[in-house]
Amino acid sequence: MNCVELQKSLFEIEDGSSAEQRAHLKSCPDCSCLVAELNLIAAAAVELQGAQEPSPRVWNSIEIALRQEGLIRPQRHGRSLLPSFGSSWGWARWIAPAAALLLVTLGFYIRQHLPSAELAKNDVKPAVADVVADPALAGLNDDDLLQEVAQQSPALLAQYSDNLKRVNEYIQDAKNTVASNPDDEEARRSLMEAYQEKAMLFELALDRSLP
Amino acid sequence: MEAICSAASSRCAGWMQELGEFISMSGRIVEIAVIGVMLAGTLAAETHKEFRFNVGPKAGVSVNNPYGSISVKPSTGNTVTVNAVLSSDKVEVDNNSVGNRVDVQSHLLPGADANSGRVDYEILVPADASVTLHSSTGALRAEKLRGDVTLEGAAATVDVRDINSAHLRVKTLNGAVTLTNVQDGHIEIDSLSGNVTLNAVTGPLVQVISTSGGISYIGDFGDRGEYRLTSHSGDIEATVPDSTSADVNARSVRGEVHDDIPLQPKQHTSFVPKAGSAFWGTMGRAAVSSTVVLRSFSGKIHLRKRSAK
Repeated sequence: MNCVELQKSLFEIEDGSSAEQRAHLKSCPDCSCLVAELNLIAAAAVELQGAQEPSPRVWNSIEIALRQEGLIRPQRHGRSLLPSFGSSWGWARWIAPAAALLLVTLGFYIRQHLPSAELAKNDVKPAVADVVADPALAGLNDDDLLQEVAQQSPALLAQYSDNLKRVNEYIQDAKNTVASNPDDEEARRSLMEAYQEKAMLFELALDRSLP
Repeated sequence: MEAICSAASSRCAGWMQELGEFISMSGRIVEIAVIGVMLAGTLAAETHKEFRFNVGPKAGVSVNNPYGSISVKPSTGNTVTVNAVLSSDKVEVDNNSVGNRVDVQSHLLPGADANSGRVDYEILVPADASVTLHSSTGALRAEKLRGDVTLEGAAATVDVRDINSAHLRVKTLNGAVTLTNVQDGHIEIDSLSGNVTLNAVTGPLVQVISTSGGISYIGDFGDRGEYRLTSHSGDIEATVPDSTSADVNARSVRGEVHDDIPLQPKQHTSFVPKAGSAFWGTMGRAAVSSTVVLRSFSGKIHLRKRSAK
């Protein structure tokens, strides 16, 4: 097994390290270092989960992104879409979300600990724009949402479709207001709230409240 | 249950006998008999289950019920009591108690639908328990609790009353939300299209975000709290008594605003107001006032005085 094969196998093997993997790791310091770093990230993610539980929306967004990438399949009854931390190689699938989570947490930490004067000195608008990322960019796809609802709970499809349309109008209105009044803090807050509503729509659709 | 079925069967038999005296034996009697049998069958299909769990202080209780209602009230001791009425054998109640936490789940079996998969819960929990309820279509009710309460559902209606010093979170798609006599709470409500009604609701934070649902607040805005009511296209109406003290800031981008209460003007606003689309100022005593923010894009905003009775 060479380095490429080992790195590929990290994403494929969940039930423990194979003899081939162990043999390669013994002989390759680069791969050993990589695996050690990945273990560190996975361990940090576990601690973050326990110490500072992120919003379910974070997990839902990650879940949607993973689904779009084809890494996970649509939800089935009684089985979580998200991979378990339990298996020794299961963490490999958590590399991307864990790294994203660490970045998000780091971003919030820095933002919260920056002196307000320093925040004011910086251009606030781009910062808000970063926080209020477009859902399409974050992997929130309307068609996926409706497809999920159609599979899980067809009786609610019309309601979700209608609410999706309304919340998109909300976002568009809020965007227009921010565009015409870029210094209006309330307008930017409204835009964040509009996105919050859309995130909740996805959360309700994908979370356990659906049958 | 057997007693109920037995009573129903004997009553049906009595009706049949009486009818038989007035009309001749015909298809109609047969029809009534069939309905009676079906009624008895429906009653027989319902089953009642009860579970009890001993818990410590500030226990966690979570209930996930796709179809059906959940009602939570305080118990007298340190016991969680779950009463469940299952509509058919196509649904089971799974429960799990680990440490100081109780999880209850309606488990739909193959072929279950909104009728056959329905379970109605009545749950008693210690008043200081943290409660999380999920339902897709049933009514969610919580009352007289002191712990954190999270209620979530798509079309579920939400009714919360007589709760003190709790962190209350509500999320609905289009179910109506009604809060009554919720004091000193940290309250966050998100509803996409359900109407939200707050009656005598106060606390350090009262926040409602809606996309198209209307928001109605009836009360005095407490003191030193932050009240933020936002709807994209729903109307917002706040009805307050004369004694209210609040800094009010209301703005609708395209809708109308109406203010029946004279406000003491403030010199500074954080936005450029457009005539007829905003009002702001202080009512009552500014020193003890709460901050009230009312925001809409296309809905109407109306601040009105509560009429004396």
